Amino acid sequence: MSRMPVPIRSALAAAVVALAAVAAAGCDGGNIAGDNPGSSGQSFVGHSYESTFYGVGQRPDAPAVSGTTISGQRLSLSAYRGDTVVLNFWGSWCAPCRAEAPALAELARKLGPEHVRFVGVDIRDQPDSAQAFMQAFNVDYPSLNDPADQIALEFHSTVPPAAIPTTLIIDRKGRIAARVFGASSYADLQALISKVIGQTA
Amino acid sequence: MTSQATAPGGTGRATRLGISGWLRWSWRQLTSMRTALILLFLLALASVPGSVLPQEGIDPAAVTQYYQSHPALAPILNRLSLFSVFAAPWFAAIYLLLFASLAGCVLPRTVRLVGSARQRPPRAPSNLARLPAAASYSTDQGPAGVLESAAGLLGRRRFRLRTGEGWVSAEKGYLREVGNLLFHIALLALLFSVSLGGIFGYKANRLLVVGQGFANTPTALDVFRPGRLVGPGNLQPFSINLLNFHAQYVTSGPELDQPLAYNAGLTYQTQPGAPLRHYVLRVNHPLVVDGVSVYLIGHGYAPIFKVTDGTGKVRWDGPVPFIPVDQTTLTSEGVIKVPDAQPSQLGFAGVFVPSAVDVGGTLESAFPAALNPRVSLVGFTGNLGLNSGQAQSVYQLDTSGLRQLKMTPRALTAGQSLKLPNGLGTVTYVGYQQWVSLAITYDPGQLPALISGFTALAGLILSFLVRRRRVFVRAVAAADGGTLVTVGGLARSDAAGGFETEFAELAELLRAQHGGTAAATPAAGPTHQSADAEDKSTENKSTENALADVPEAETAGAGADRHEAALTRPDGE
Repeated sequence: MSRMPVPIRSALAAAVVALAAVAAAGCDGGNIAGDNPGSSGQSFVGHSYESTFYGVGQRPDAPAVSGTTISGQRLSLSAYRGDTVVLNFWGSWCAPCRAEAPALAELARKLGPEHVRFVGVDIRDQPDSAQAFMQAFNVDYPSLNDPADQIALEFHSTVPPAAIPTTLIIDRKGRIAARVFGASSYADLQALISKVIGQTA
Repeated sequence: MTSQATAPGGTGRATRLGISGWLRWSWRQLTSMRTALILLFLLALASVPGSVLPQEGIDPAAVTQYYQSHPALAPILNRLSLFSVFAAPWFAAIYLLLFASLAGCVLPRTVRLVGSARQRPPRAPSNLARLPAAASYSTDQGPAGVLESAAGLLGRRRFRLRTGEGWVSAEKGYLREVGNLLFHIALLALLFSVSLGGIFGYKANRLLVVGQGFANTPTALDVFRPGRLVGPGNLQPFSINLLNFHAQYVTSGPELDQPLAYNAGLTYQTQPGAPLRHYVLRVNHPLVVDGVSVYLIGHGYAPIFKVTDGTGKVRWDGPVPFIPVDQTTLTSEGVIKVPDAQPSQLGFAGVFVPSAVDVGGTLESAFPAALNPRVSLVGFTGNLGLNSGQAQSVYQLDTSGLRQLKMTPRALTAGQSLKLPNGLGTVTYVGYQQWVSLAITYDPGQLPALISGFTALAGLILSFLVRRRRVFVRAVAAADGGTLVTVGGLARSDAAGGFETEFAELAELLRAQHGGTAAATPAAGPTHQSADAEDKSTENKSTENALADVPEAETAGAGADRHEAALTRPDGE
């Protein structure tokens, strides 16, 4: 320090303060949920899309999800053990969810006979608008009501949904085999489901 | 700096030399104090838009509002990251350069300071009478005994000692270097802590209506800014339910409308299945769960609407958060989107006025509390633009595909309905609820940064308060059979003063111990430097010297002269 004149000392002290300010402000990086200012208020992926397939050895066990559906019925995923389950996190307010809804509704009808069960998890929504959504898009499969994110939280230590919509494919042994962030297309989702069915030992 | 000239040169050899030269030159420039200061200034300057413009991470609603009021400017500002200044690449560039600059400056300095703190006292100068403080006396004791007892006395006073032929050299105040070292290390630790937060920490925002709950998971957060190594699975799995919210305002006097207190009553769980706990969240009184702080940063109203479509079915029934456009009176704006209304989609843009008063035919809010809440709505039908999949704000209507409904403007009170034209349905203003805006921050570097900050401060104070001082004793046998003892001393950076007193006391103690009698020698320090220069050439040729500080000594292999000159300066700085 000896060669530093006093003003520089205080400058260093100021650097401490400035850096503390940076610390307080955060040197934060990108974000997973995607939040351009125009869409603030709800986090979701706009047009970004990301799908991940897990090999048989890497699949974490899906949590024992159960709850009440939008129409008021009890539903537990364990009832579907032995079937492949497509779990879709959505909300009626979410534009990408609306974009993918026709594909999901159609795939659910088509793959039902092949022991593929679709289940929705309706997040940050309101029952009347959720029911209106399902009616508008002819969604026949049930959706669990998750207004306080407790179902999303169940996936905390496995494959947490990081965007709305998020689609998880659970193989017939109850393990999470694939994950999609963002709006799925009919072809992509069908291919992914087939891959999971084909590669489940 | 020949490298500057050769660097842009053409031949291979010159280029190779040039590159290393350039690098060395760049590094020296980067780690210079001037650059650090410029970067520091830039950092301060770059933070200005962060406080002038609304920030995404602090108040996303305000950003949305800014978008509405400046539709042309906002996208440009967004491209320049001006709505998230502290996450902007150019901001990162500044602080990373500052980081590198400070680290590059502090690290070598730290190494030097370690040397300085471990340094032995220098050899005693030959003529102690020339030192700023000096005393001498005669004694009957032999020189060896005198030096031994002098060393003992100084040693008991925790001086660091060095002895030689006929002299004792003692130095004290190494704590100054320790403080200095502490400051530097703490500064590095601070930099490290800051980056720790940036790597493993995260920030999020969530707007929560009374009666609703959420979990700390990415899909539940309005804005989520994770550190570089934070994944969705790293979020602490707590849940919060908002039970109630109370705001108190000043109801009279000059500070009318000013908030007195905000209290948000909530329950929380640290993880699924954990016991439910209660907490009252207040401003600057965050809830801390698992090291994550949840702050109350805003509030507003969420009017409750019930929308029935043309088929008679209820398509929306619930609160809709409105964003305050006037922070004083909480006049708020918001939109209701009913994308699944039949036969066509419906949208409403509304204004909520908590304490309505009629000012010349228009409704204005007179007070932030909901004393006389009213809502006025403008209805739209057509295409909301949601089904295309293009994400849009829940606080904005994209009216490009919408047609405004012809309705007589009316301020609704709770329970009143508006019938939409053409049999499109009805909308009812049911009542209102309140919402709070929460900031969730996790910064594992916070505590280390705090500790480092305090340590740096402590080190700085230590290095300012403690002065390094040296005392030398020489004893030579005199012609009369006795011993002539000279004591000399000097202090570096004796800004606070006090060394002279300390020295006089020490000299007196030594004299008393040796039963000495004052000799007729000058007590004050030297006045002519030329004598010093001469003196140094004979005796003080060692690399160590009376006063030079190590950072100087280290750079000056051939600089002994300069250091000797420093001997007579009251303060090396």
